[in-house]
Amino acid sequence: MGLLIPLFVWIAIPAVCLAPPLPTRSSADTTEANPQATTTPPAEEPPETKDDEEIRKPVEEKVFRATLAAAHTPAKHGDTSGESWIAQRTMVEDYCGWGWVKKDKESWRQARWVALEGTPRTCPLPHTFLPRPVDDKNYQYRFFGTFAPYRAYEPQADMWVDVFILKGFMSLGPAKEEIRRPPPAQASSGVNRYADRAPNLLKP
Amino acid sequence: MRLMPILCWLSLFSLPLQANDVVLISGGPALRSFEKYKKASHDKYWGNFIDSALTRAEELKKDLKVEDKIVWLVFRPSYVSRTTEDQTDYLKIIGERSAKIGLSPIFFDNKNQLFTLLRRDGSKEKPKICRLEYFGHSNKKCWMFDYSNRVDGGALEPLVVHVDDLQKISGSSFTSDAECVSYGCHSGEEFSQRWRMIVGRPMVGAVGKTDYSDGGMPKLSTGKDGSWVY
Repeated sequence: MGLLIPLFVWIAIPAVCLAPPLPTRSSADTTEANPQATTTPPAEEPPETKDDEEIRKPVEEKVFRATLAAAHTPAKHGDTSGESWIAQRTMVEDYCGWGWVKKDKESWRQARWVALEGTPRTCPLPHTFLPRPVDDKNYQYRFFGTFAPYRAYEPQADMWVDVFILKGFMSLGPAKEEIRRPPPAQASSGVNRYADRAPNLLKP
Repeated sequence: MRLMPILCWLSLFSLPLQANDVVLISGGPALRSFEKYKKASHDKYWGNFIDSALTRAEELKKDLKVEDKIVWLVFRPSYVSRTTEDQTDYLKIIGERSAKIGLSPIFFDNKNQLFTLLRRDGSKEKPKICRLEYFGHSNKKCWMFDYSNRVDGGALEPLVVHVDDLQKISGSSFTSDAECVSYGCHSGEEFSQRWRMIVGRPMVGAVGKTDYSDGGMPKLSTGKDGSWVY
């Protein structure tokens, strides 16, 4: 008997001191919800199927752009000092990027395809002054800014493209001809070693 | 001395249960100034990945173990830029909505911060992850937290978790029975398999697109042979 009392104390004390924590707020919420459920008459509750089918109301667009058909990009905008590049807006369907950028003396064959990043409160993208993004297609600009140390991921074609951070631009008007060269096509990663592994279908 | 093994066995039951974290990750919305005129226009509603994560958090709370907790990680920069565009304080709305269900968002600004938040050692401060779920833009190769937000139609490298980045997520941060789900588009076509091979835990992902437009949890887009795989 003398041995059993210290044994009981040795087991009981850690069990009390190291007991699992009390229920969190989440379990308290669920217990609060239950009385409400019981007090509400079941006949007034909407059917469960309607609860599950949550349909969102149409969202009002809050983006405002120029509405005049004759709207045009400013001749000069933002910080137009320092090194500059010649840029031509080129649109490729379902492809991330703004267009081609090159140095003055380079040919368009040496141009780089870029995704364009504006600088907040200094210089937005040129097409934001126009009614639609497509409205400055094949227009040329003199760009002021730098190439970013990071790339952008193009999800449709699974590629990385260069990023140009725009600080200012000057409009040069419509280009003489469209650049028909396709944008770059390097894959974002090597061959998928797991491509042969068929995914495991989840069965309901 | 004969009682020692019994006492040791009994003392195991007096230890507290191991706490784990349920991690929900919300990516950011696109800017409408980029998306408005596209055929496949994204994120008319700013809170697709917020509402779905909160809906899921409420579901998970019903079956949550007492010692476990839900950790909600939200990619902040996209909501800041969308706030500027829509002239509505979305960070404040996120805080208010999550407070209603007893959650508070933990914001991250890039993938390195996310990797740090996912690094766990099982201690009281950094409990292991027993469940991870992602709500956001993705394709078969990556999660894109800022899709069409800073650059039109793409996502910047520091804000993309590419399959080549998965080595930075350690399998030891997860419990042995951890479950992972990606509710982004196309994750089941490659990302899930790579996650399983590199991180070591199965991840359920979608073959095809997922649709958040009806609110609440995303659904597989209709009209195509989409399915959930792991």
